[in-house]
Amino acid sequence: MNCIECKEYLVAHLEDTLDPDTAADFRLHLATCEECRLLLESSAALQKRLLQRGRMTADVSQVGPVMDRINRPNIVEQSIETERGSFMNKLLKWRWTLGMGAIASAAVLILVAIIATPNMQVAAEEIMAKGANAMAKLSSIHLRGQLRTLPADNFSYIAPEMDFVTIELWKEFGPVPKWRVDKPGRIAVMDGQTTMLYIKPDYAFKLPKPSASAFDTQWLHDIANINQALDDEMASIKKHGWTTTVAHEASSDGKAKSVVTIEAKSGYNNDDYLKNIFFCTADTQRVYEFDDQTGFLTSARIFLHAATGTKLIFELTQIDCNPKIASDIFKLQIPEGVTWKEEMQVLPDNEKYASMTSEQAARAFFEACGRDDWKEAGKFCTMTGSLKDYLGGVKLISLGTSFTSMLSIISGAQFVPYEIKMKDGQVKKFNIALKRDPHTKRWFVDGGL
Amino acid sequence: MEKTDKEVIERCLSGYTDDFRFLVRRYEKPLFAYLFCRLGNRSLAQEAAQESLVRAFTGLSKLNKPESFHSWLIGIAARVALEFHRSARRHVEKAETIAEVPVSNTGETQDYLLDEYIAMLPESQRQLILFRYYEELSCQQIADRLQVPLGTVTKTLSRAYVILREKLQSGCTTRLEGLA
Repeated sequence: MNCIECKEYLVAHLEDTLDPDTAADFRLHLATCEECRLLLESSAALQKRLLQRGRMTADVSQVGPVMDRINRPNIVEQSIETERGSFMNKLLKWRWTLGMGAIASAAVLILVAIIATPNMQVAAEEIMAKGANAMAKLSSIHLRGQLRTLPADNFSYIAPEMDFVTIELWKEFGPVPKWRVDKPGRIAVMDGQTTMLYIKPDYAFKLPKPSASAFDTQWLHDIANINQALDDEMASIKKHGWTTTVAHEASSDGKAKSVVTIEAKSGYNNDDYLKNIFFCTADTQRVYEFDDQTGFLTSARIFLHAATGTKLIFELTQIDCNPKIASDIFKLQIPEGVTWKEEMQVLPDNEKYASMTSEQAARAFFEACGRDDWKEAGKFCTMTGSLKDYLGGVKLISLGTSFTSMLSIISGAQFVPYEIKMKDGQVKKFNIALKRDPHTKRWFVDGGL
Repeated sequence: MEKTDKEVIERCLSGYTDDFRFLVRRYEKPLFAYLFCRLGNRSLAQEAAQESLVRAFTGLSKLNKPESFHSWLIGIAARVALEFHRSARRHVEKAETIAEVPVSNTGETQDYLLDEYIAMLPESQRQLILFRYYEELSCQQIADRLQVPLGTVTKTLSRAYVILREKLQSGCTTRLEGLA
């Protein structure tokens, strides 16, 4: 072995991947070459520094915060999006944003013959790659499906125990994209100039600028970006070693289709408290159906493998590629009389509120609701008619000690346990989430009502 | 099939702004390592990394060579780190007491040069350094992922080592694209 070859083998030696014969040659050369010995020493030192990089950055994750800022640079928008969010919303939002690195899918329960081939993964990759290529340059898309959630709740709220709710997305791509996401009780529209949210019956927010995705619709946009979503899924299969199967069958209209089923394992043990809390910590089964002729993805489903059994939580039943979307779709008609979310303003006596603890803010809020003092309550929360109906005359029974949790890392909120008696006599115990507005430094209600 | 930086950037500029997350995922760790070495404080490094990535996104259309995204990003991060230092200095001047000096102001180490030099490596070598040391994949895993022989991976890494060693020894002064 000469010096040139020796330099080429430095890393292989340090990584212990040389075959025995080459390793012996390498050592022999080192024994006779001072220069290469010094090179090896400095390479080992460099390797040590590089390995420290991995340990130093193991827990770094900027995707969520950065995309959040990019998509929602306005702090007002950030606050409105979480204003009505509940405790679980936060969790489930992160299920999608962290875990939905790829398109949804899950097991078709009535699969016809699953063809077990030794190279099933290769077959699955070929089908998915074909689908990704076929759907790489869409000018518009329309997705329709159903999700287990509440009709008016956060778009990213998934609740496996709930019934299905229809969810729909229309999107035009291009330099100035437009989009609309619909659930029965909540609509978000971006018409190319402004971004609006309407929560039925009486709450609305308008952001005076376009937004690539807002109001927790990111996961659906991820899916609408189908070719990238499929690429992601393929990368995940390789990275995590997920098993895939492929079935070939005929659709109801006689067209040949390929069904790719993926068993996505989170790697979390069943006794881990994070198991099935986030999408990325859940075990899911995903099924994609592709039209053999066009390569297009025609449907997708996600099943959750829960302790109580396997359950379908989301499915796309309609995927229209390059549809002509009526311009009305991107116009949102909001009825008169709704309460519009406004940016928090510095109050004349702002310091009084800014100096409150989260517990003091929770008390002040509930007590104001109890007096039907909506001006005062409005200093902590945008009070819609329905919220006034809900909290009017409430009696605060007790408040607990404020706490932070894993969710605080995500949301920045503090939680205050409370017990209240509603005017109909019903008693409710829960945790109110409060966040400090960065501009006014006042607490505002971020969920948990 | 991973898209190149150039492909992702082209898609972002075509309106697929959500794709920027792939660049975030690809570079968040080397960026953080660089800023941690510059600022010496984890939370400040996180904050600065976030700021750098957002600035990179907003300035994406100004990037002349998309294939140089990594070095351009590190250049942006260098400016952000500088701003953080200035801000800390102002804080110190105002406070007139060393007791209020943020940790960040004293934590810079020369180790950040390593991250600058990594960003300047040829694409093929840089990719392997990122996979091996930031993604913590083994050489065999990298070979499987890229579908190349194991020997190709280790030899390419060896060549990257040679360049990095030389730059570190000579104190390379080549400026990154993003540095004004």
